[in-house]
Amino acid sequence: MVGGQGVSSSKPFRSFWLAGRHRPLYGLMVAIASVLTVFLLRYALSDVFDDGALFLFFTPTILLAAMFGGIGPGLAAVGLSLIMVMVLEQLVLSREIGLLDFIAFLSVGIAIAWLGEAFLRASIASTTSAEALEEREAQLRTILETAFDAAVVINAEGVIISFNPAAERQFGYRLDEVLGRNVKCLMPEPYHSDHDHYLRRFLETGERRIIGTDRIVVGQKKDGSTFPMKLAVGETKTESWHYFTGFIRDLTEREESAARLEQAHGELARLSRLNEMGEMASMLAHELNQPLAATINYVQGCRILLRDIDNPNAERARAAMDEASRQALRAGDIIRHLREYVVRGGTQKFPESMHTLIEGAAGLALLGSRDQGVRTEFRYMASHDTVIADRVQIQQVLINLMRNALDAMRDTTRRELIVTTRNDGDMRNIVVDVADTGTGIAPETIERLFQPFVTTKSNGIGIGLSISRRIIGIHSGTISVFNNQDGGATFRFILPTLQQMGDSDG
Amino acid sequence: MGDWTVHIVDDDAAVRDSLAFMLAAAGFAVRTYPNGSEFLSVARSLRHSCLLTDLRMPDMSGVELIRRLKAADAALPAIVITGHGDVPMAVEAMKVGASDFIEKPFDDAVLLEAIARATGERNAPAGDGGIADDIVARLDTLTPREVEVFEAVVGGLPNKTIAHALDISPRTVEVHRANVMTKMQARNLPELVRLALAAGYDITSPVRNPINR
Repeated sequence: MVGGQGVSSSKPFRSFWLAGRHRPLYGLMVAIASVLTVFLLRYALSDVFDDGALFLFFTPTILLAAMFGGIGPGLAAVGLSLIMVMVLEQLVLSREIGLLDFIAFLSVGIAIAWLGEAFLRASIASTTSAEALEEREAQLRTILETAFDAAVVINAEGVIISFNPAAERQFGYRLDEVLGRNVKCLMPEPYHSDHDHYLRRFLETGERRIIGTDRIVVGQKKDGSTFPMKLAVGETKTESWHYFTGFIRDLTEREESAARLEQAHGELARLSRLNEMGEMASMLAHELNQPLAATINYVQGCRILLRDIDNPNAERARAAMDEASRQALRAGDIIRHLREYVVRGGTQKFPESMHTLIEGAAGLALLGSRDQGVRTEFRYMASHDTVIADRVQIQQVLINLMRNALDAMRDTTRRELIVTTRNDGDMRNIVVDVADTGTGIAPETIERLFQPFVTTKSNGIGIGLSISRRIIGIHSGTISVFNNQDGGATFRFILPTLQQMGDSDG
Repeated sequence: MGDWTVHIVDDDAAVRDSLAFMLAAAGFAVRTYPNGSEFLSVARSLRHSCLLTDLRMPDMSGVELIRRLKAADAALPAIVITGHGDVPMAVEAMKVGASDFIEKPFDDAVLLEAIARATGERNAPAGDGGIADDIVARLDTLTPREVEVFEAVVGGLPNKTIAHALDISPRTVEVHRANVMTKMQARNLPELVRLALAAGYDITSPVRNPINR
């Protein structure tokens, strides 16, 4: 490695150096040329040195030959040097050289030749790998440039150092606009403000939040509009460099296939669908029960009235009433079983971060919606956001509310979805507001909005909000709605935080 | 039967009117009220009356109504009607003084029998010494697991939840439940709850705490 840096610089030299097939020949030429040169030099300087430094003069030639040609030319240089020493002995020396001196030179010469060979191999290896590296880099650049997914590379300070054409397309920035800028310009609030902090925390603690997993998050384009994206982050670390590479897939892009959409929805969508079916069955059971009970009461009343009338027709009518009553009771039983079936053995509740739930739900809510140009903002003002919750259920509520908001803004020019969290009641509650700038809700509807089968949408069945209310109820919370002063509506739900849960347990 | 007046409190007009029709056909004098407050205002002057009330109502729940009647010293025999899955609430109603509960929809025979029991003098009031001893003797025949199931059942928990809480299969819960009913000589859930209350059992606290979520 010692000489590696010095020799790998100029190209013609390197190609000569690496001319594998001819290397022994070049080595031999170097050996002959250098030994002859040294011979002439030593001959010319024989007055100065007298009898000394005879062998010493020839040692560099061995190293030189071995470095160029390997051990073969190195040994050739040893042999030639020995011959030249003997010639010099005859020509200029006043004494005979001892046998021991020859043996010593021979041994040292072989060792030097071997060293030269080792150096040569090391140089070849390092030069080869440098070239391979350059080739791979070129390949990588091609891949990144043609990739469908956006790829953004940042350094440890969060500064963008690479931004591929797909990223330019997705975010609407040109390469020269973002190079050298902080990557947070690609994120909406509060990630925009917090990203530096995340990065610092990771560098300090090594605690991985996003690296190595892929997540659905919200990105922000140059024009300020937001879009759902799937983000995977990789880390590259050497002694002197620390990079992070983000691969980003825009989940709204038109080329999005149905299959990929389905995959991104994943477990959450499947579970929430099941949940929705169960809730609907349960609600239907409840709603049908009242008229059914009334029907049975009327039929049975009639039967009692017919009981004391002694008439064959009254007798037959009474039998029919009996049967009608039995059938209605059977319907009641079916509903009872249906309800028993959908009553789950208890929801799975764990401590969850509300902010993380919101983040995931936002990605899914924006996903697949063809509404372009909605600005999404998250204002996380709650310092205590841990709730004991069934993740799927709470995210279903959030998705319901956000989708409603997007639907409400379909025909408005100003489209802003703002999700706010804050604590109240001495950190015992978290208040989550989902506000839109849509058309708002008519006063006559707002009262009944959470009742089942009440809807303001032409294609809705009016079940989302009543399910949301039930879910929030199961979590010991409340949900409400109000129209905003400057247009649009805000849905607000309040859940107890872990703080409060901890108190009531103890 | 004819000299008893049944007072029906239900916020759903169809259910209220149909009940009135059926009970009138069965020979009762009937009066209806759309909410608890209206009944409360007349309750003190009533004689020879029986209350039939829905449990879930927007202004005042059935439980609250019975509690207030008691507080106003106007308690009368009361039967509560529940929707599905409201058993814990019905148990609560029995704790505050209701004599029975019926799950909607029901057969008229069940309701008429409940009214007969609520108004009849033959039933000793709950907590009577002799009967309580008898019930305690029946309770003693239950195995520890059956006691657990008994407590959960009278607490109004569905089989699935009991199975989850006790970590046994719903099928096993059904078997235990059937054994409990036989050993306690109860024909239905309200009867079992009545027995538990008569034995001085504190129904809600031991059961709901471990399973409460």
